[in-house]
Amino acid sequence: MALFLYLDHRTFVHRRHPLVKVAALLLFFVSAFVMEHPLFILPLSASVAALILWTKSTPTLQRIRVLFLFIAIFPVLIWSVFYRNGTPFPTLPFLPITQEGALYGLGMAAKLGTFLATGALFLSTTRIEEFAYAFTLLGLPYRISFTLTLAFRLVPLFLESAVTVVQAQRCRGLDINSGPLFQRLRHYVLVLIPVFMGALRRADQMSIALEVRGFNSGRPRSSFQRAPWTGADTLAVIAVLAVTALYLSLWSAGYGRIRSL
Amino acid sequence: MWENTRLVVFTAICASLYAAVLIPFKVLPIIPGVAELRPANAVPVICSFLFGPAAAWGAAIGNLIGEFFGGMGPGDVFGCTANFLYGMAPYKIWELIGGAEPPTPKTLSAWARFAFTLFLSSALCALVVGWGLNLLGFVPFAVLGNLVLFNNFVSSMLFAPLLLAVIYPRVARGRLLYHHLLPARPTKSRAVRFSGLALLTCAVVGGMIAGNLLASGYWTPSLLVAMGWETQSRAAEVGLGLVPFLLLAITGLALL
Repeated sequence: MALFLYLDHRTFVHRRHPLVKVAALLLFFVSAFVMEHPLFILPLSASVAALILWTKSTPTLQRIRVLFLFIAIFPVLIWSVFYRNGTPFPTLPFLPITQEGALYGLGMAAKLGTFLATGALFLSTTRIEEFAYAFTLLGLPYRISFTLTLAFRLVPLFLESAVTVVQAQRCRGLDINSGPLFQRLRHYVLVLIPVFMGALRRADQMSIALEVRGFNSGRPRSSFQRAPWTGADTLAVIAVLAVTALYLSLWSAGYGRIRSL
Repeated sequence: MWENTRLVVFTAICASLYAAVLIPFKVLPIIPGVAELRPANAVPVICSFLFGPAAAWGAAIGNLIGEFFGGMGPGDVFGCTANFLYGMAPYKIWELIGGAEPPTPKTLSAWARFAFTLFLSSALCALVVGWGLNLLGFVPFAVLGNLVLFNNFVSSMLFAPLLLAVIYPRVARGRLLYHHLLPARPTKSRAVRFSGLALLTCAVVGGMIAGNLLASGYWTPSLLVAMGWETQSRAAEVGLGLVPFLLLAITGLALL
């Protein structure tokens, strides 16, 4: 079972310095965040879609397509109700929904969809080690970035152990997903206990192994991960900064906001 | 905590358990696609009683891993912070009101204290995540705050007692509980700690009520009206109106 979203291709985006990818992710978030009107968010969504095609990351979008469906529906529904003031729809005057509310909901759906797609692009092109390396370069303490990487690496291990326990129970005739609510809860507990206990056993062995390898020696850490900064990285940063500057200037000039119709 | 190799490993274990338990267990839907009861929501609470501060960091990192699996966004900053507090609060509250008892309730009084601990922790998490996402204008507090509170409280009340009853005695026998691994910290007086608990309770309960009133438009602080900072999404109202409650809640937690 493929757990994470990283896709091993050697495209231009994959080869960028981890810091460039983290900066681009944050700057794209800022650009989408400052806009409310869906028409102003769409060019950004289109750019992310183009990058996804370029980096061959479409399988990632396939995997999270259900989330896009929810994002397309729920913000519109929720904000149509909660965004109270504005112009009612002439054909639906009996509903407490306004045109501005529906537009804000659409904008929010576009915004959240763009965040999700940008995040998917980042995760498809960046390995966990690169992510942790970027944060170490930004000053995150080594122990925290080590914990982050270790936690990521342990997930498939525990997932496998949970699936094994579920299968073992199934072999004994126990279907954890059937029966009334409280019976199902009891079944979950029966599966979770061995997973927890196995994890604790592993933790003890792992901490001994780390100590033996001098984890707590207090000496300066070196890193196997090395990423040289190239001219292409500088160009990529300039391009993303230009997009963000454009969006921020549009925002400061008052564009992209929902006004009364 | 970060100087102790075992607790560093336990942090990673808590984080990966949180993420790993999410996936193989089918959820019990409340509103399909929006809210569901998941055994994973009980993991930060269980780990908090066992590993203390390691569980707080583990919950924050576990939440981040979950976002890596399902999609990232600016709201993750608040998600991680809220989960950090969700992992931090239970053991601190139980240390004070649980006395020397293990968090495996058997008497009515122990059940009441246990439920109070879980309610306060769930509400603190809901307050932070609801505030943050309404501040960004993504989801109204009245929707998300209440859903997170319900989800976390019900999941942890259903799963935590059952799992702790089996796991806690074994971890205690192995001398792997956080107070076995961490050096004893200087304790504050009981009066200070009880004031912290009172502050935390008032701030969290008051914050949840205020958040609902602010998000649904029943209350707008007059200062915001005077300054003309009213917003249609209620982002400014919730964002600024809940800041005093959040500050008091954090102060209360620090005093515990």
